[in-house]
Amino acid sequence: MSDQDLFAYPRGRLHAADKDLAASLQAMVQKEVMDKRLELKEDYDGLLAPSLARLMAEVGLQKMFWPEKLGGEEHNEPEAAYTVAAALEQIGRADVGLAFLAAHSLALQAAVAAKGSCREELCAAVAPLFCEGNRPLIVSFVLPAMSQDGGAPEWRGKGIQVRAKSGPEGWTLSGKAVRPTCSGADAGLFGVLCAVDGEEPAFILVPGDSHGISREKEFLKTGLAASRNADLDFEGVKVPAANCAWRGEEGFLNLLSWFYLGLAAAGSGALLAVYEIIKEWGDNRVIKGRGQVFKENPLTAALMGEIAKEIAVDRLLAYNLADILSDPQAYGDDGPLAVFTSALMLVHHIYVSAEYTIHRTMELMASAGYAREWQLERYWRDLKTVQCYLGAYELAKHDFARRFYHTKTL
Amino acid sequence: MRTIDDITRPLDYLPPAAQILSPIIRNWADNEVIPYRRQFDEDWEDHTLIHPPGKKLLGEYGIQKLLFPVDLGGMGFGESDYAFTSMFILGEEMARADSGLAVGLGVTLWPLMSIALKPHVNRRLLEEFAPLYCNTTEMISGALCMTEPQGGADIENVELLKGSTIQTTAVRDGDEWVINGHKLWPSNTGGMADLLVVVCTTNPGSRDPADVTLIFVPGDLPGVTQSGPYEKAGMACDKNGDVWLENVRVPLWYRAHGPGKDALFFLDIISIASGVTISFTSGMMMNVYERLLEFVNETKLHGRPLKENDAVAGVLADYTATLEVIRIVGYQAARMLDRSDLYGERWSPEMMAKMRSYRYFTMDRCLDVMGKVMNLMEAYGADRDRDIEKHWRDIKMNQLWLGGKQLCQIEAARWFFECETL
Ligand SMILES: Cc1cc2nc3c(=O)[nH]c(=O)nc-3n(C[C@H](O)[C@H](O)[C@H](O)COP(=O)(O)OP(=O)(O)OC[C@H]3O[C@@H](n4cnc5c(N)ncnc54)[C@H](O)[C@@H]3O)c2cc1C
Ligand SMILES: Cc1cc2nc3c(=O)[nH]c(=O)nc-3n(C[C@H](O)[C@H](O)[C@H](O)COP(=O)(O)OP(=O)(O)OC[C@H]3O[C@@H](n4cnc5c(N)ncnc54)[C@H](O)[C@@H]3O)c2cc1C
Repeated sequence: MSDQDLFAYPRGRLHAADKDLAASLQAMVQKEVMDKRLELKEDYDGLLAPSLARLMAEVGLQKMFWPEKLGGEEHNEPEAAYTVAAALEQIGRADVGLAFLAAHSLALQAAVAAKGSCREELCAAVAPLFCEGNRPLIVSFVLPAMSQDGGAPEWRGKGIQVRAKSGPEGWTLSGKAVRPTCSGADAGLFGVLCAVDGEEPAFILVPGDSHGISREKEFLKTGLAASRNADLDFEGVKVPAANCAWRGEEGFLNLLSWFYLGLAAAGSGALLAVYEIIKEWGDNRVIKGRGQVFKENPLTAALMGEIAKEIAVDRLLAYNLADILSDPQAYGDDGPLAVFTSALMLVHHIYVSAEYTIHRTMELMASAGYAREWQLERYWRDLKTVQCYLGAYELAKHDFARRFYHTKTL
Repeated sequence: MRTIDDITRPLDYLPPAAQILSPIIRNWADNEVIPYRRQFDEDWEDHTLIHPPGKKLLGEYGIQKLLFPVDLGGMGFGESDYAFTSMFILGEEMARADSGLAVGLGVTLWPLMSIALKPHVNRRLLEEFAPLYCNTTEMISGALCMTEPQGGADIENVELLKGSTIQTTAVRDGDEWVINGHKLWPSNTGGMADLLVVVCTTNPGSRDPADVTLIFVPGDLPGVTQSGPYEKAGMACDKNGDVWLENVRVPLWYRAHGPGKDALFFLDIISIASGVTISFTSGMMMNVYERLLEFVNETKLHGRPLKENDAVAGVLADYTATLEVIRIVGYQAARMLDRSDLYGERWSPEMMAKMRSYRYFTMDRCLDVMGKVMNLMEAYGADRDRDIEKHWRDIKMNQLWLGGKQLCQIEAARWFFECETL
């Protein structure tokens, strides 16, 4: 039994192809990322960009949902949620930043190109970016954010960062000091939630090379080296009318739900790596003189047990989210808001648990946990960064309250 | 507008020097460190930017003379009734700027504590090293070398293991000690250490505390080799590396005190470090409070300042409640170290248990609220230029060194519950 198999997940729900994909990704990221990172550390050009290219373009994660006739793999049924979970878990185990980027791409594909909801004009406009050639496409989102501009139109209290106007020639977008969710410096496609005067918000897809987008210098951040983020300015950026993926909340909630699935799986995968690290430590470190192997000490063994428990539960939760997305009816089919709330609860739960778990692991490893060489600290920084980008847990709790208590004014 | 000076500290037992010390260090922090600290992480190896503020504070302002007697050119804090409350202020103000820097600079004084503090002053060794520390405006780096490859916690776990796991040996040869061993992680190594205090044994495997020795080793002696610094999650200002000691020879009188006493005063400096470490936590948290204040004032939610949202305010209150309590606990710990007449010897199992308790309790609380405020700031919480994430990375180390959290728990339980086998 492999170490990963110790942590139960509903393997019966995965198709053979999902298992094969997970196995080949596991081998690939081991060789391409994990075996090289001691030497290459977080080198973007030397390690992360080539790995991203392999995953997205060569393995083809960026083609997964698109129709075959547009060059995609048309793996676009709701059950693809399991594929997303299985794939991103393996990538997250190697590098959370890579999984974070892949989660953006897969969420957008799921929201735009899912079976039955794929709008032909839109798919024809954007699928080539994903499916043609061998270059990886980095997808980034511009979501509502706490702002310093008090007058910005809001979504659930947060400022919508970009405004859009529609005209005969399509959409014109503007926004200053816009903070994307990832890769502001590199992204080839932005999914932007835009405020539209007097109307429902629009979710608009904006190719990264559109005229009028300027990118600030990459800023430094805690983790996620694969995402070279930078703030953006949108100055009269024009895109065709077809690039509006949807209006209103439903599509947006659906996108976020799939995005959270990706992040949940990435977190679960990272925690599997944490398990491997602490297991090696626990098998070999000796404390209390020469006598006691770490895992046999009652105090440290209890903590190691708790760490394993957290990881096991988080993995189940991540796959449970896949299950919800693969078959919402089975969960009561209460619509996208219900699915979104579940996704938000599960992903926050996983990230709170992940932070707790890695803190405990680091405490057991003392200086080794803090040293770059042991890799643990990298997961610690990366997962914390994802949690920050996920949004404030305190405010997510209002989303939970909205659903469970029908609050109206939050 | 509120400032960090609204965070309470125990005014009734502040040291007389507080009025002078605080503004000097605050000014240094504001002018010499804070404007540059966002670039410190990339400077972990070279210390091109990190060295100048260290030199200014330790060398030019002379803080490295603090513990030496006045007649040897020092400031006489080793004999002061306010040594630790003063050090708490120093630690807090330094850590407000950068807790890694606070560690590096503070550790320069740390090994000296084994010989400079009343009631165990070793005048001859102070005379020997006073010129190094006091007759210069260059920065001197001191290091305390305890941790070894097989484990640091066991070496500190003197009550249970009584020095039996120490592998670094000191063998007497005529009127010299010959030292051999391999240490890991001491602060201010990685090529920096000018003076090392090395925890050795005169009899490997022995459970007799008389065999534990603390020996002073000038960093430039033949046989002392320091590796380059390790790369870490944070704390770029503190360089840590391997130290190899190969047939290093020092005079016999470079031993801090003698059989039995070295083990006790080794415990003393661990107990002190556990208490004073809290100053790094509270100082760091004060700066986070400053930066957080700015953020929650200028950032809007529902069109109003973030802080005006009741849910957000709950997290903010948790943060300052924690800071208030940590600061009070930290000063209380420092005061207990100052007043052994009231609280008992600093190296007693009781004081060790209490200092370790305060340290791990405050660290746990600190990390909990730090994680929450970082997340509250959403994407900006992870930005280097908001400073919070740097403090979050740096301060984690406060919990991991000095034997880690579990050793703290064990030593606390051992004393409070009179456990016999832990
Ligand atoms: C920035 C930094 C500065 C440092 N400065 C110094 C310095 O100045 N001088 C120096 O000598 N070292 C220094 N260290 C090293 C540090 O003090 C040690 O790492 C620490 O004491 C733990 O030792 P270790 O890493 O060998 O882990 P171990 O001793 O192997 O301990 C690992 C973990 O084992 C567990 N453990 C240990 N003992 C017990 C027990 N009895 N019961 C239950 N659990 C237990 C704890 O969880 C502990 O965290 C520094 C490290 C860093 C990163
Ligand atoms: C053993 C006991 C002894 C007591 N002794 C006394 C006494 O001697 N004299 C006396 O007068 N009373 C006494 N009380 C009553 C006690 O002080 C009140 O129950 C308490 O002050 C809360 O008032 P409440 O129960 O009316 O609840 P509420 O005022 O309705 O508050 C309920 C909850 O609402 C929330 N809440 C309230 N305001 C806010 C806000 N601004 N923002 C967010 N959340 C908010 C809090 O979670 C609060 O717990 C006693 C109660 C007990 C059980």
